[in-house]
Amino acid sequence: MRKPRPNSLQHEPLIYRLRAFVTNPANLLLVFFLLVLITLSLMPMVTMLTNMFTVHLGTEKKMYRLPVGSWTLTHFKKLFEGSDWSKVNFWEPLKNSFIVAIGAGILGIAIGGSIAWFVTRSDLKCKKFISSVFVFPYMMPAWTLALFWTNMFQNSKVGGGNIGMVEAVFGVCMPEWFVFGLFPMIVVIGMHYSPFAYLLIGGILKNMDATLEDSATILKASRWTIIRRITVPIVMPAILSTFLLIFSSGFSSYTVPVFLGSAVKTYTLSTKMRALIQAGYQGQGYIIAFISILMGCIILGINQWFTGKRKSFTTVTGKSGQVSLVKLRRANWPITIVLIIFISFVAIMPLISFALESVIRQPGNYRLSNMTLHFWIGTEASAYETGMIAGILLNDTMWKAVGRQVLLALVVALIVGTSGMLIGYACVRRRGSKLSRAVESLAFFPYLMPAMAFGTIYLAVATSENFKWLYGTFGLLVLVSAVKFLPFASRSGVNSMLQIAPEIEEAAIIFGVPWRKRMTRILFPIQKSSILSGYLLPVISVMREVALFTLLVPYARYLLTTMLFSFNETGYAQYGSAVTLLIILIIMIINGLTNKLTGASFDKGIGG
Amino acid sequence: MPEIILENVTKRFDKFVAVDNLNLYIADRGFVTLLGPSGCGKTTTLRMIAGLETPTTGRILIDGKPVFDSQKGINVPPNKRDIGFLFQNYALWPHMTVYENIAFGLEMLKWDKKRIAARVDEMLALLKIEQFVKRYPAELSGGQQQRVAIARTLAPSPKVLFMDEPLSNLDAKLRQEMRTELKRLHTDTNSTFVYVTHDQLEAMTLSTQVCLMNNGLLQQYAPPLEIYSDPANLFVAEFVGNPTMNFIPAKVKKIDGSTVTLDALGKEAVFTAKVPVENLGEEAVLGVRPEFLPIQEGGAVEGRVYSTLPTGMETTVKVACGDTMLTSVVFGNVDYPVDTPITLAVNGNGLMLYDKLSGNAVGQGSIAF
Repeated sequence: MRKPRPNSLQHEPLIYRLRAFVTNPANLLLVFFLLVLITLSLMPMVTMLTNMFTVHLGTEKKMYRLPVGSWTLTHFKKLFEGSDWSKVNFWEPLKNSFIVAIGAGILGIAIGGSIAWFVTRSDLKCKKFISSVFVFPYMMPAWTLALFWTNMFQNSKVGGGNIGMVEAVFGVCMPEWFVFGLFPMIVVIGMHYSPFAYLLIGGILKNMDATLEDSATILKASRWTIIRRITVPIVMPAILSTFLLIFSSGFSSYTVPVFLGSAVKTYTLSTKMRALIQAGYQGQGYIIAFISILMGCIILGINQWFTGKRKSFTTVTGKSGQVSLVKLRRANWPITIVLIIFISFVAIMPLISFALESVIRQPGNYRLSNMTLHFWIGTEASAYETGMIAGILLNDTMWKAVGRQVLLALVVALIVGTSGMLIGYACVRRRGSKLSRAVESLAFFPYLMPAMAFGTIYLAVATSENFKWLYGTFGLLVLVSAVKFLPFASRSGVNSMLQIAPEIEEAAIIFGVPWRKRMTRILFPIQKSSILSGYLLPVISVMREVALFTLLVPYARYLLTTMLFSFNETGYAQYGSAVTLLIILIIMIINGLTNKLTGASFDKGIGG
Repeated sequence: MPEIILENVTKRFDKFVAVDNLNLYIADRGFVTLLGPSGCGKTTTLRMIAGLETPTTGRILIDGKPVFDSQKGINVPPNKRDIGFLFQNYALWPHMTVYENIAFGLEMLKWDKKRIAARVDEMLALLKIEQFVKRYPAELSGGQQQRVAIARTLAPSPKVLFMDEPLSNLDAKLRQEMRTELKRLHTDTNSTFVYVTHDQLEAMTLSTQVCLMNNGLLQQYAPPLEIYSDPANLFVAEFVGNPTMNFIPAKVKKIDGSTVTLDALGKEAVFTAKVPVENLGEEAVLGVRPEFLPIQEGGAVEGRVYSTLPTGMETTVKVACGDTMLTSVVFGNVDYPVDTPITLAVNGNGLMLYDKLSGNAVGQGSIAF
């Protein structure tokens, strides 16, 4: 037997190691992305941290009587000390954020989980219709549901006193807590994310090995015992991780609280953050942004710890042969009808409502005589009274905003899609190395930051002395969206590259195929559909994003989504509804195209 | 012509040593198998020779030219090493047809279209896959994919062909068939084959030389029959051969040149080696292949039948002798009731004697109880 020679471990010369390092394109990519991501994702974070401790121009300078830029802890003191100001501006919104997040999480799981169970485990009727229509709200921006809610339930006794559809048709005035505030926020966010719960929990219920339940049946367990003791514990990790995801989305949601809270002055942390920054309390605003980020990190940490610990549960797959469906018997039709009505209300009714709202001259009056197409195609003369120069389809400002948003979406998609793919390739090829880990987590880092906080960070950078030239430019929007939407792209890049065995590339290396050709002729064609959806997902994300842009656009009507918000803040509800309908339409077209081209679709892509 | 030389090649992944100071000479036109249990470093070795993995230290020469030298900083990329590589999972490009898969490597060599077409046709004929030329890999069975992969690898006529467990994804019958084909291809293509496998039967039937590895260390490098009949240590003896060799613990009582007096199976026995025995401690292990342990009236070893495992052509009989379980192979179909008293003879002069402490072979010869 051969014995190892103790001195056989000479180290090769450094220059040789360096050369070996740079000849691997994956290494070069990793170094490149490391530098870019440190600049674009870590540095802004540092800027934000310093902003928490420095005095800013304006209100702060006057109040603290300190020179701009000097270090201070006053921001913290003032925010946390427990005075009335601190209660109103921090503790109350914090409490609200928690209530909304927890409520939405529970509601989302209750709705999504039970529909998932009905569809996968019972003999419910019309399953196809229910499952395809139910995921629809998830594709729409969350604020469309909020807008729909106010359109439906606002009445002469609350908020701005506009008459909603329910009052107009049935003459019923819903109480204020029902129309505005925490209750509708919970309902809207919960409903918006319930398809997400449906997709996650349903996926596991569907893939769960039926023999697990069958063996319990054989051991004489009753149906209910099986659900309680076998099914629920197995989907529990999925339920919990869904809850955490809805929780963190609800916690950082900006658009829904703005629509449903502003009228009654109910703030959550995200809406407060913006209010503070706009009122000149930048320091406190950045502290709140930091708290939101911290929250995101904690949630992700808990989630990873949890799913990591019980991973074996969620990966149960097997021949899910004959699942014996629970017979609903006489309850079948009633349940089916209730579900269809509910789903139609959430998924189809909003579209009808927006269409209606956008053609009535006087809000609350749904008679035909009150209908007009002015808000869509009104000319200078006829649309004058509505506060705009012309209806949105003939309006120059409007089309410019559409153009900018679409251009932004395309540019961002190009950058994000390409980067995600290259990061995926490089990280998978060098998997396990420190460099690869660093790039992968840096690319995922922006996911932890709520959009509002992320926008705030970039605002901090763009208003700092050295980067003034960035403020209010299109380039800044490109930059911020590219970084913000990178996490999903890089995740899907990594996942799609992991599916390709390294031998597929090595077989080409042996033939001497150069790197670029290996990419364009072998790796990309194989993963064509997932790479294409990697390009198309950011398009949809940009088309429906508001929170990220609201602080960074040079003026409110710069982009379509921010324009919509300004319409709503200034009370032009008809324009708001028309623009919303337009946005939904654009998103549906893109999703349809994606589906046709790649077989991938938005709901599938994000659910997995 | 291509001979391959490995000098002091070591590969470490962080602290884990995958291949430890390996020296190997692979003769021109040889068919060498790298054999060993999973994780023993055989695939890493193959990938280092091919250039897909970079050794930590050492030197590799193909055809007299250094393709890797950690001292001089030489590392020739795989495509300049004039090799072919057949992967375990075939690594066919799923988005290309059979024709495109085979032609792709030739396009990279900038062959003209006519020449490529002619060569692809030749390969298709050689591997008998002409009818699948327009199909995609997903539309082929495992065996057909395997043939396409071989055709793709052979198309540029590499001087050396590396194969990484190419048959392990096939079912038993197909594997047998492909073994025959591979051995035939080796002669037809006139090139050097280096073959990785954990299947000892594959190594025995195919190769001219077997390189048996364990834990990154070379155990024995010899022709297959030598590995079988003269295993260098207990690991080799146990790994090669099915059913496994019998290991009978023995106490050494006296060593006298090539004669060793032992205490085994509760009896005194005299082992006569072919050459004088050295490096033997107090405890020894006697290695007896099952075919040297026939069931015989009046044999020296007594025991009881534990179980009988007939396969048709031969029967494996497990015999309990005190605490030791022995295996005997009997030609033909026999059946013994459980616990039948039985006697075994210990025949032949191919018995092995190992030093228990080092595990190394110290002698080969015959024994008399």
